[in-house]
Amino acid sequence: MSAPTLEIHESGDAALRAVAVSADKEANWSTVHSLAAWLATAGVDGIHGAVPTYDSVLVEFDPYITSARQVRAFIQLGMRQLEFVGGGLRQPRHFDVPVVYGGGYGPDLERVAEQQGLSVAEVIALHTQKSYLIRCLGAPAGSPMMDGPDFPHPVPRLKDPRLSVPAGAVSVAGRQAVIAPAVAPGGWCVIGQTPLVVLDAAREPLVPYTPGDVLRFHRIDAVEFARLEGRPLEATA
Amino acid sequence: MNNPLIVEQAGNSVITDLGRTRGPAFGLPVNGALDQFSAKAANILAGNPDNDPLLEITALDFRMRATSDLLIAVTGAPLHLTVGGRETPCWEPVSVRAGETVAIRRITTGLRAYIAVHGSFPVPVLLGSCAPDTVIGFGLRLANGTALPTAASLPPVSQPHFGLPLYRLGFAAPQFRDHLVIDVTDGPDVTEFGATAELLYRSTYTVSPRSNHIGLRLGGLLPERQTTAEVLSRGVPVGAIEVPSRDELLLLHRGRGVTAGYPVLAVATTRALDLLGQARPGHTITFRKTTVAEATATHRAACLELERLRGTVQTVFGLLGVGTNAGWRELPAAAGI
Repeated sequence: MSAPTLEIHESGDAALRAVAVSADKEANWSTVHSLAAWLATAGVDGIHGAVPTYDSVLVEFDPYITSARQVRAFIQLGMRQLEFVGGGLRQPRHFDVPVVYGGGYGPDLERVAEQQGLSVAEVIALHTQKSYLIRCLGAPAGSPMMDGPDFPHPVPRLKDPRLSVPAGAVSVAGRQAVIAPAVAPGGWCVIGQTPLVVLDAAREPLVPYTPGDVLRFHRIDAVEFARLEGRPLEATA
Repeated sequence: MNNPLIVEQAGNSVITDLGRTRGPAFGLPVNGALDQFSAKAANILAGNPDNDPLLEITALDFRMRATSDLLIAVTGAPLHLTVGGRETPCWEPVSVRAGETVAIRRITTGLRAYIAVHGSFPVPVLLGSCAPDTVIGFGLRLANGTALPTAASLPPVSQPHFGLPLYRLGFAAPQFRDHLVIDVTDGPDVTEFGATAELLYRSTYTVSPRSNHIGLRLGGLLPERQTTAEVLSRGVPVGAIEVPSRDELLLLHRGRGVTAGYPVLAVATTRALDLLGQARPGHTITFRKTTVAEATATHRAACLELERLRGTVQTVFGLLGVGTNAGWRELPAAAGI
C-alpha cells in the first residue's frame, strides 16, 4: 500500500484544507492527524492551529503575518518531514464511560432498535461490546467523534432535530457515535446518557481525550447514575 | 484597581476580544468581535494593544457611567454618542470625567458598536481569550448594574477654552451601507455545484432575521449540489458558504461549529467578514468573486491603515503624556545646540 498523497485546497484567505488521498482510510486518518500534530509542535508565527477530522485537516492562519502560499509550502515541508521521521501517533489513553440506556436518558433507543430490526438489549450489547477510536473532535465543544457500533444499517438522523440535547448524551447517527460534552441542539439519535462531566471550561485542555484515544461504554442503572453524577471523565490507563 | 464602570443600560452587550484563535484545534469556535476592523480601531484609538478586551454592543441602545476619569473610543456602525450629555464624535479618542454617562443610541445602517477603554478590563480568559462562547456558557454578558473594574484612570484631556474636545485625528471610518458587496473566493468544493455555482454571483440575497454570530442566513437563488456522495465531517473555515437547506444559504461567521459535513461552495474574505458582522436583517448582499491573492492584499491594506492610525495615536498620546507616568520628562536636545 502506497502512502497517501496530500491535496491542498484553497479555503478562503485565512485557511487551507489539506486532504489525504488513498484507498486506505486508516492511512488517510493517521496522515492528517500526524500532520496536525506536527504543525502544532512547530508553533509557526501566524498559524493559528489545525483541525484534523477523517481524511482532511483545516489549517487556519493570520493572512497579515503569513499567507496561503507560505502555509501551503510549510504543510508540504511537514509532509516530507513526516515521511522521513515517520508520523507515529502517541500511545492511546483509555476511557471507560458508564451509560444509562433508554427511558428519559436515551429517548431514541427503542426507535433505533426498531429501525435496525434488533431488540433493545441487542442494541445495548452492540454499543457496549466495541472499543471506539476517537477519530476527531467535533461540534459542539470538542465532541469525541467515533466510528459507530456494528449495527446492521446506518442510523438515520432525526427528522426534527432537538433544540436542546443535554450534556452527557450518548448518541448514534449514520455509522458514527458520539458523547455530547455540552448542551446543544442535535439531530442524532440519543440512546443513553453518562453521568460523568466531559467538558470542564476551568481546565486546559477542556476535554480529557484527544483523537487517537480509545473509549468504551458500559451499562449502569439510574441509582449508579445518581452516585456518579458530576464526576469528571478521566483516563483509566 | 480603579473605580469601576457601571453599566446602566446593558442592551445586548458583551466583553470580547479578537477571538479564541487556539479554540478550533480543541473543537471550540474562534468567536470574538464580528467586525474585527472596528474592534481593532477602537483599541488603537484608546491607546491599547489590538487584542485587549473591549465592549461589543449589538443593535440595542447602551449606557454606562464612569466612576473615575477615563479615556475611551467608540467605533463600529453609525450611532448617536453622548458623553455627559454632550454630542461626541465616534472614531476619535474621548475623555470621560468621573461621574459622566456614556450613551450609545440609534445604531443604524450597521449592527455592532465597540467601546474600548484605555487600560482595558481584567476579565477571565479561556484558551487565551475572553470572547464569550454561547455553547459552553463561557463569557461575560453585561446586565444593568454590572460593575466593570477598569485597569487605568486618565485625567481628562481637553482644550482649556470652551471645553472643546481635543482629539480630532480625522481617521476615515469605513462606509456603512444597507447593500453590501461581499468578496468571496471559490470554496474547496465548488465543483460539486456544477454550473449552478454561478447563481451565487447573479442573485441578490436578503439577510434573514434568523442570522446571528454563528452564521448569516441569506434568502435568494440557491446553487444546488450535483452529487449525492456522503461528505465526511471536515473543518470548515469562518466565511464558508454552504447550502444546507432548500430555503437559504448559510454563511458561517466566527461562532461557527468547527466541523461540518456540507460542501463549501465559496468562502467570504477576511475583510468581507467585517462587513458581514455589520449586516442587519433585511440588508441585501451581492457576491463578487475574487482570488486569495487579491483578498490577502485587501486585508493587508486595511491592516496598514490601522498601523498608520496607531502611529498617529502614539504621536499624539506621546506629546500629551497619555499612558506615561506624570512628571517632568527630558525632551531630546535639538540638533545643533
